Amino acid sequence: MHTDVNPGPRVERQPADGACPGCGKAELSRYPVLSEGGWYQVVKCGACLHSVSRKPWGLLGPITLTSHGLVLD
Amino acid sequence: MTDTSVESNAPTVPLKDLDDAQFQELYGTDRFTATVLSSRVRYIVDHMCTGLLNNAFSQILRDWYDFAATISGPPAQNYPMSAVSNSLALFLGTMCDAVRNTVEEYGSENLRPGDVLICNDPYRSGTHVNDILFIRPVFVDGEIISFVSLRAHQLDMGGVVPGGFSGTKRNVYENGLVIAPNLLYRDDRPLAPTFNLIFDNARLAALLLPDIKTIYQNLLLGERLVIESVERYGVQAYLGALRYSTDVSADAMREGLLGLPDGVYLGEDGIDADGVDDSIEYRIRVRITKVGGRVEIDLSGTSPQARSSVNGTMLDAKTAVGIAFKYLIDRHTPFTSGTYRDIDIVIPPGTVVSATPPDGAVFIYWETSEPLLHAVFRALRDALGEEAVGGSFASLNLHNAHGLTDDGTPWLTACQTGGEHGPWGATRHGDADSYTVFYTANNLDPATEAIEADIPGVILRKEYAPDTAGAGTNRGGAAVRKDTLWLTAAEHFTSPLHVRAPSGIGVHGGADGAAGACWIFPPETFDVREQKRMLGTNTEVYAGSVPVTGVLDPQTKALDPAGEYFYFASTPNWQTSPGTVFRYLTNGGGGWGDPLRRDPERVKRDVRDEYVTIEGAYRDYGVVITGDPRFAPEQLVVDLEATHARRRELLARRG
Ligand SMILES: [Zn+2]
Repeated sequence: MHTDVNPGPRVERQPADGACPGCGKAELSRYPVLSEGGWYQVVKCGACLHSVSRKPWGLLGPITLTSHGLVLD
Repeated sequence: MTDTSVESNAPTVPLKDLDDAQFQELYGTDRFTATVLSSRVRYIVDHMCTGLLNNAFSQILRDWYDFAATISGPPAQNYPMSAVSNSLALFLGTMCDAVRNTVEEYGSENLRPGDVLICNDPYRSGTHVNDILFIRPVFVDGEIISFVSLRAHQLDMGGVVPGGFSGTKRNVYENGLVIAPNLLYRDDRPLAPTFNLIFDNARLAALLLPDIKTIYQNLLLGERLVIESVERYGVQAYLGALRYSTDVSADAMREGLLGLPDGVYLGEDGIDADGVDDSIEYRIRVRITKVGGRVEIDLSGTSPQARSSVNGTMLDAKTAVGIAFKYLIDRHTPFTSGTYRDIDIVIPPGTVVSATPPDGAVFIYWETSEPLLHAVFRALRDALGEEAVGGSFASLNLHNAHGLTDDGTPWLTACQTGGEHGPWGATRHGDADSYTVFYTANNLDPATEAIEADIPGVILRKEYAPDTAGAGTNRGGAAVRKDTLWLTAAEHFTSPLHVRAPSGIGVHGGADGAAGACWIFPPETFDVREQKRMLGTNTEVYAGSVPVTGVLDPQTKALDPAGEYFYFASTPNWQTSPGTVFRYLTNGGGGWGDPLRRDPERVKRDVRDEYVTIEGAYRDYGVVITGDPRFAPEQLVVDLEATHARRRELLARRG
């Protein structure tokens, strides 16, 4: 049996400044999530999962449609 | 917390702790009325579905129930999906986002009473191109107060494979027609350009058109029932109840999560290969972080998207995760968009569960949805203890074929004669069912008589295979063995994607179910019509077969866990002559609890019912049974003394 298991892509989390208002740890980072209400760019605590901010992202998150960039006028 | 999401006006205390005044303040109505209206919107979506089920012509709607209905709230509430029908679960998690994405792209300000908006783009709305989402805005006093929606599978949507069901298509161009958000009706009149777009691309127009008209009528039914509700209870109470319904789901999920130990849990499952060749096995990885009432599921490290249409979309990943958490954490409240309030999903684009256009083709997306659910089941298996749930048969093993009858009439079958129905895993509550669609679906089983009336296929076997179920204090479901005889020459597409390893994981000390397979028996090796008897089930019969898939002994072609993997698309479309038999054997379901603790009388009953053989009872359960299950099933006897001895021996062997 010849099988190759490729390692897949990862979501990179950008470190964010400050301490978590929930637990006080300095483990905040910024990354996109899909949840109730669609896609958000969040700043979140890695220790307690408290969201410091949740800003709505594009409707389709990281997807670029085949028709993306189409300019009609 | 700077939370800009609309859901932030949700209560911060459990709903049961709100007093009457707080409840009224929050929802604009009293608790009793909110509960009545929550039930009423669920009644409306089920009523819409009944209307479609009773009137559909297409077998995939009529016999499979391949559709779902939802009710969502208005844009100002961020489209809360407050009610889902009791039908295809795979659609439900996608529809909350699909309605928002479709309406927002079209522009809610561009909608007016009498419109029906559609979209079928998997990347915008999840699932696959054959599933058109039909959305009806419901207006009261000139404002949109709701959307009633039906997503329903159309038997064809163009593309290179008739019917579309195939894991071998390479990109969106081969896959089928993509419809971006577009009006199908305006002022309650059909729009010819949109109908032409569909019917200039799709086969089987004679089936599709009346079904689309029926879908439209059931959107009108949903709209009418919503407006009646508003007339009776007032718009404020109605809108409050839509939010209340989602808050109930969020509340119950949070409460359930509090009962799960905090921690980081890893799980993995996958599919055997894509439709190109067997050089890549795809793995789906979950990293679940759970703290208090919150959880995050990171899919990083999942294999890159497949080279053909076995992928799923990000919205399908969201659905599979939501369904997994419903099974494991909150089984008691209805599924709504609020189910996800404290669930964040981290999804890298371009994986086999988050494909991107144009090369990440998506068709048999559920083949990754169910393994993703299993990855969550595996991750949380130990943390859940006795609440864990065993694994299912994992792949729908779809069989699709077409050909010509003797008089030259074309025929097509979709999902009627493969291994589409099979076993679930056991739970602490009891043995598992052995014949249903898997966890992420919820459909009907097409009747054998209806299938045989439609197509030149004869279903010879549809039965449980002994000793395939995961042993346990509660037994997993047994694998289903299904034989179909094809009376005409035919071309077949088949997609069993999960046989390299068993999928029916055992939990809480239960054993895994067995892995399945699929074989073709050409008439030269065994001609059912000439022999006038069925193909046997002993291991000798397989030597003359053409294996489609399975881990099999290369000589005998019989199941052998140490054997060789046979790749399902080694021949992308199987051409067969009249008299050919296809045999599917699904995977077995997982057991729950230590099999040595199963009451010997329950093991005896399983031997009587042929879920377990006398040898299997001895080997897997340590139960010694004498008698003849086939010809004297009620005279079977448990030898209790020998059973105690055998169980002591098995326990000692564990060390
Ligand atoms: Zn924190």
